[in-house]
Amino acid sequence: MTEHMQDPLNHPEVQLANGRAYLASFIISMLLMTVGLWLAVTHITTPLGTVLMISFLAGVAVIIQGYFILHMDISHAQVWHTVAMVLFLPLFVVTIGLTAWMFHGLYQRTMIMPPAASSMAHMSPMSH
Amino acid sequence: MSASAAQKVDPAHATLWARHYAGHDMIGTRTFGFWLYMLTDAMVYAALFATLGVLSHVVNLAGGPSSSAFINPVYAYGQTITLFLSVLIYGYSMVALKNGNRGGVIGGMFVAMLLGVVYLVISGIDIGNMFAHGIFPQVSGFLSIFFTIIIYHALHIIVGVVWMLVMMIQVAREGFSANVVYRLINLRLFWHFQAVIWVFVFAFVYLQGIVA
Repeated sequence: MTEHMQDPLNHPEVQLANGRAYLASFIISMLLMTVGLWLAVTHITTPLGTVLMISFLAGVAVIIQGYFILHMDISHAQVWHTVAMVLFLPLFVVTIGLTAWMFHGLYQRTMIMPPAASSMAHMSPMSH
Repeated sequence: MSASAAQKVDPAHATLWARHYAGHDMIGTRTFGFWLYMLTDAMVYAALFATLGVLSHVVNLAGGPSSSAFINPVYAYGQTITLFLSVLIYGYSMVALKNGNRGGVIGGMFVAMLLGVVYLVISGIDIGNMFAHGIFPQVSGFLSIFFTIIIYHALHIIVGVVWMLVMMIQVAREGFSANVVYRLINLRLFWHFQAVIWVFVFAFVYLQGIVA
């Protein structure tokens, strides 16, 4: 990271561009999102099963994109970007997960449920 | 740090310190700073998705429609195709940058920008349809966070489109100076990050909205 570059195009963050990785990311992400759409539209499994499977597909798509297009790897040029991402992930998960969990408990203790909904188990969209 | 691993080190003459300041890596410093900034933007999304998790509970419908009653996934799927294609074409533009191909960078960026505009048009039609059916942000807590997330994401796409327009002009006028190159890398981080965020929006707002 400290090398002085005469030509900015020789910078490692320019040279890491990779057309085949971008194409692979596009194809895999589109396939995963298409499968997700198909699952959601056809109602082929239970609602909970569909939600879990879509969450799984989204997680795979994010990992694929993170590796192929955001270049989250441990190469010399990118390792600190990856470290920052790894330190960020717990914040992201805890923010969403703890909020959903706290309010899920709060609703049950404080809110008057509509009669139609009392039998319906609440499902957080992030399913944490 | 500047010693190359490929070079053989003679232990008799090795020095354990750098004799000269290796130079400030302006591009690497600025892209890393921008990356940290993008992660703070992702924290805003974390707050929005946490709010979605809270407000998609049935008590927050306030008599308004549930998400499965009005979401049309065809538009969101069209947005998925255009945004992912735009990210792919921007990637090819960065391959052209690697090869020092100025026309390739500008051409790729132009196509990526057009696809961003198509994304915004689809988004506008989708939101317009919802408004035409009386589905407004002020109807319920759930609809407030629903529109906040999709409009916040659309604002990012608007910023990206304007940024690409600016960078096309800068590449045409200045060529690949260090300043232009770090901005192109930052725009790559920004634009590619929007695809990652869109995976979350598409999966957790639209697809799970149909199921819920």
